[in-house]
Parts: sequence; structure tokens; C-alpha cells
Amino acid sequence: MFLTRSEYDRGVNTFSPEGRLFQVEYAIEAIKLGSTAVGIQTSEGVVLAVEKRATSTLLEPSSIEKIMEIDQHLGCAMSGLTADSRTMIDHARVEAQNHWFTYNERIKVESVTQAVCDLALRFGESANSEEALMSRPFGVALLIAGIDENGPQLFHTDPSGTFMRYDAKAIGSGSEGAQGELQEQYHKSLTLKEAEVLSLKVLKQVMEEKLNSTNVQIAIVRSIAADGTGGFHTYTEVECQAVIDQLS
Amino acid sequence: MSVMEYNGAAVMAMKGKGCVAIAADRRFGVQLMTLSTDFKKIFQINDKTFIGLPGLATDVQTLSELFRFKTNMYKLREERDISPKTFAHMVSSALYEKRFGPYFCEPVIAGLEKDGTPFICNMDTLGCINHAKDFVVSGTASQQMYGSAEGLWEPDLEPEELFETISQAIMCAVDRDASSGWGAIVHVITPDGIITRTLKARMD
Amino acid sequence: MFAYEQQQQSSCPVKAPVEHRFSPYTDNGGTTLAIAGDDFCVIAGDTRQSEGYSINTRYAPKVYQLSNGAVLATGGMYADGVTLVKMIEQRLEWYRHAHAKEMSCGALAQMLSTILYHKRMFPYYVWNTLGGLDEEGKGAVYSYDPVGNYEKHKWNCSGSAGHLVQPFLDNQIGFSHQREKPTLTMERVVQVTKDAFTSATERDIYTGDYLEMFLVTKEGIQKTLTDLKKD
Repeated sequence: MFLTRSEYDRGVNTFSPEGRLFQVEYAIEAIKLGSTAVGIQTSEGVVLAVEKRATSTLLEPSSIEKIMEIDQHLGCAMSGLTADSRTMIDHARVEAQNHWFTYNERIKVESVTQAVCDLALRFGESANSEEALMSRPFGVALLIAGIDENGPQLFHTDPSGTFMRYDAKAIGSGSEGAQGELQEQYHKSLTLKEAEVLSLKVLKQVMEEKLNSTNVQIAIVRSIAADGTGGFHTYTEVECQAVIDQLS
Repeated sequence: MSVMEYNGAAVMAMKGKGCVAIAADRRFGVQLMTLSTDFKKIFQINDKTFIGLPGLATDVQTLSELFRFKTNMYKLREERDISPKTFAHMVSSALYEKRFGPYFCEPVIAGLEKDGTPFICNMDTLGCINHAKDFVVSGTASQQMYGSAEGLWEPDLEPEELFETISQAIMCAVDRDASSGWGAIVHVITPDGIITRTLKARMD
Repeated sequence: MFAYEQQQQSSCPVKAPVEHRFSPYTDNGGTTLAIAGDDFCVIAGDTRQSEGYSINTRYAPKVYQLSNGAVLATGGMYADGVTLVKMIEQRLEWYRHAHAKEMSCGALAQMLSTILYHKRMFPYYVWNTLGGLDEEGKGAVYSYDPVGNYEKHKWNCSGSAGHLVQPFLDNQIGFSHQREKPTLTMERVVQVTKDAFTSATERDIYTGDYLEMFLVTKEGIQKTLTDLKKD
């Protein structure tokens, strides 16, 4: 299927006669090479879980960071060319802080997702006086989790700049299997505790290595109480182990 | 900063039914620094007449002594108390004498005439008299006092009502002026005598 | 003939250069007021527009109902007020498109502060008072200086008679120096507002003509016009 596409692979912004943008499609393919990331929305909050693929036994696992905070009420898991996510998360953080600065309120999850996606198609060849653009599409997909006046929400973004809201979503190399498992196991009355366990259960099934507290990362986003507790939280190894212990 | 605002003051007088009231704040300060909180700005001239002297504190004291001298001389010559109206003109003339080097003070005079009719007036630094049917104000909080008194005053107030009205009016006015405040003193002049009360307000 | 003679007299050449300077600011006077109740808010302003000792018009409203249900009273320079309100309306619509919701009163309050501060070096010559209902449905009043310093409170009066009315409100709305502190009904607040403006009209030459009042409740916004003295 890749053999016939030579001419329209050159320009990153050139449509093929069938109406496709190959570079964007390839970027989406790049995500399928990434490590698996899972997000589950419950009525109490959202769980994000990712596998950390250690390419060497000498690698320090804690240096792999695939879940990041955007704001106190927003978290983000990624899969694909994770270096690209830096641009996007930087943008998301600026957007969130700007909104707070201007309106003295937390930005909505959908708005921050939209802001990130606005960046996604800003690639191509820049014409003489235009603002410098990016040379290629992002090679990363994000799971943006957050909480706002509409409750806990989970959004998925891809390199085409499309975003969609999910109850539960898996991305990365094991996404097909993981998504199937989520489809079967998910129900609306899931508690946050149950969702934590489910997210690891799903990851465990699609991971090649044996799952342990160093090769997965979990984070949650809960509503923020008046005293400032709650919001985004990444699990420590101990907290992570506690969830693993609940896997039968 | 203007000389009239150097020490800070708020003085007002109000007419009631057969009575008048005069009130002043108690602060003495130098610009924003408060030096004393029991400074005298109202002076009794006789049983039925008071004068309030807001303005530059040194002129307040000089003028109070000057008017004590002048009214004493009046009493010795005339063998009677000076009426508020006559006193107002005496003050006016004394101020106008210094037309080209005035005292920095805009006095307020309140009293009852011999027949019991209420008298109030205020004047500028040169002695231009202003008579009012309701109330007069003077000092750094004059804008605030105009607003509060205009809103609170009504005709034919009995002495106790008049006391309450002038007290509320001066207290909420000085609360919005940094140069005056630290409590207030109120005198209500009635045919039966003087009611004097010291108000503890916001002491800041 | 007389005019001709006048011209003849002043026909000598002007030797000294005359400097003409443009001043970008003017104060059009007027007083604005806002009072927050438990579940309502009253925002009012007079409608006189002055320049120096002249009255430009007796009816130039400077209190605006914004599209999100909040009411903004602008004092100071009328033209800057009009421009500012246009800007805010644009931003409200933009916010509606970007976030699919109406901007809350609190968000608008913060946004207005940033709009004003962005013109820190060439400010809008406007003293704003914003009134409405907060997220919990309680009355809210915010007042601003021209460069965006703002504060939330229960009552505020600014403009040419601001110094006169504020202590009156402290006494009648805040019950300062009073033992009883009864709950404020809307009828009472409306009456105090009218009294405040009739008093201000007595003593301030820049206040008068008409009083325009906006009553904000969760049911909606009601606008009333009351006569003030025109002298």
C-alpha cells in the first residue's frame, strides 16, 4: 500500500488525487509505533495510564515522562514521537494560564484541546513573508484529561488536528487490543478506584514486558476542593504498586 | 498640598426645629500623620453661640483667641451677649481685614437668636458669608459632608433627632476622608441649654 | 461693518509663534452607582453629558447592559466609554464562540481589568463600575480605575459626585455607625439610589437631567428612567 505513493509524498500540504494528505496519514501511523496509553473517564474523575518501554536495563525508568500536567485541573498522556508533544503541551499550558489571567477562571477541557489542535495543521512551506511554520505534522497523539463545570472529560487528539471526546480511549501500539478490552469492560458507573485497576489491567494485556511499578505511569484528575486538594496527580511508585496489587 | 488641607478638619452645622447643632472631628495632623486626637475646633462664644474653625491649625487657635477678645470687648461695651448674626458679621469683618494675607480658615457659626430662631452660616477665608436654610459644611471632608447631609437632613428635627442626624452625617463623611476623623464632638443648642456629646467613631 | 473694523484692528502680523496642543482627554462628568443585594443588583447613572460649564446633551446614557447579563456603568470620558463597551461586546462574542458559554460576571470583571491594563500607557479615561450576579446568584459590584485596578464590593459610587454619594451609601446601604443592620430589599435600594441622585443633583453641577437605573435579578434585567432636576 505504500508503494504507489511517490509523487504526493513530497509536499506535506499537497492533496493526492484521491483527496488525501499522505504526510498526515503517515504521522497517524507513527503513533501506532508508540507505547500504549489509556484514558478512562468516570463520574469522579479521569484516569490516565501509560506503559514506559525501557529500551535498556541501564535506563533510569523515572526519566521517561509520558504523562504531564497542563494545569491543576488538566493532565495529558501521549503516544508517538513524544518530543513533538513538548510544543503542544507548552502551547496548552500557555493557553490555560492566559485564560486564567484574563478571565480568573479555569479553562474548559474542550477549549484547551481545541487550542492544541489549532497548532496541528500549522506545517508546510512558508511563503516569503509569512510566519515561520513547522516543517512536518506532529507525530504524536494526546489523551487530554481534565475537569471543568461540565464534569470530568477525556479528549483524544491526533496529528490531523481532529479531536474527539471519549468515555475511554487507548492509543499507541497496543491500542487495538486495549480499545477492544475497554469496550467490553467500561460502564458508566465505574468508580475512580475501579478505573485505575481497569487501566492497568488493559495495559497488562497489551504490554510485552511484565507490568510493574516502574514500567507504568498512572495519573488522575479529580475535582478540586475548596482547600485546593484534588486536581491532577501523578502516582508515586508506592501508590502505583498499591494499584498493581489489586490486579488478580 | 494646599494649606487648607495641611492639618485636616471637618465641621458642619445644621438647623432643627427651634434648635441648632454644630459638630466637628477631633483629629489634628500634619498632612498624613496624626499628632493628636482630641483637638478642639469648636469654641463657645456665649450661651447661644458657637463657632467652628476648620483650616490651618495655627490660624484656628489664633482666631479663637481673637474672637474671645473681640466678644469679651463687645460684652463689656454693650453689656449684653453678642447675637449669632452680629457675631457672624464680626467674624466676617475680622477675616476681610486680612484681605491680602488671609487666615487659612473657613468658619462655621451656629446659634440661637434672642427670639429663639436658629442661625447657621459659614464663610470663606475672606469672610464672605453664606446663609443656609438647612445645613452648612466646611473642611477637608466638605464634599463628603455635602453628600451625607444632603441625603440625611430633613426639616423640623427635634433636638435628639437633630443630634442623631448630624452625628450620622459627620461620622460617615469623615470615614471617607483621610485628613479628618478620630471621633467627633457634637453640640446641640436648645433654648433650655446645650447638649454636648463626644462620639467614638472609627478611630483610624 | 463692525466685523470689518475688528479685522482691520488685528491685522498686524503675529510675530510670536502660537502653540496649539491637542489634548486627547476630556471629562464629560456624570455620576454612576451600583449596589449589590442578596439576590439582585442595582446599577444606575445620570444621563447628563457636560464639557466644562456647558451641557452637551441631557440624555446620553452611560450605563450599558452587556450581552451576558452584566451591566457596566462608565464615567469620565464618554467617547472612551463607548469604545470600551464596543471592545467588550466583541470580546464577549469571541468568548461565546471559543468556549460555547456565556461569560460569567466574575470572568468579565477580570477581563475588563486586563483590557484596561493593556492600555496602561495611554489609558481609556473611564471609571468603570460593573454590576451583576455572581456564579452563586448573589449581587456583585466591581469598581475600576482607568488602568484596571479593581475591587469587588457591595456598593460603590464614582464619578463627579462620587465623593458626595459614597459616604451616604456607607450609611444607608452599609449601615455604618448604626446598631440595626436590616436586610436590604430591592424597593429600599431603589429608593436610596433615587435619594442619592437627587441629593447629588442638588450639589454637583455635572449630575442631573435623568436617572437611568438597571435592576438585575435572575429573572432578567429591568430598565427605568426617572426625572432629575435640570438646572
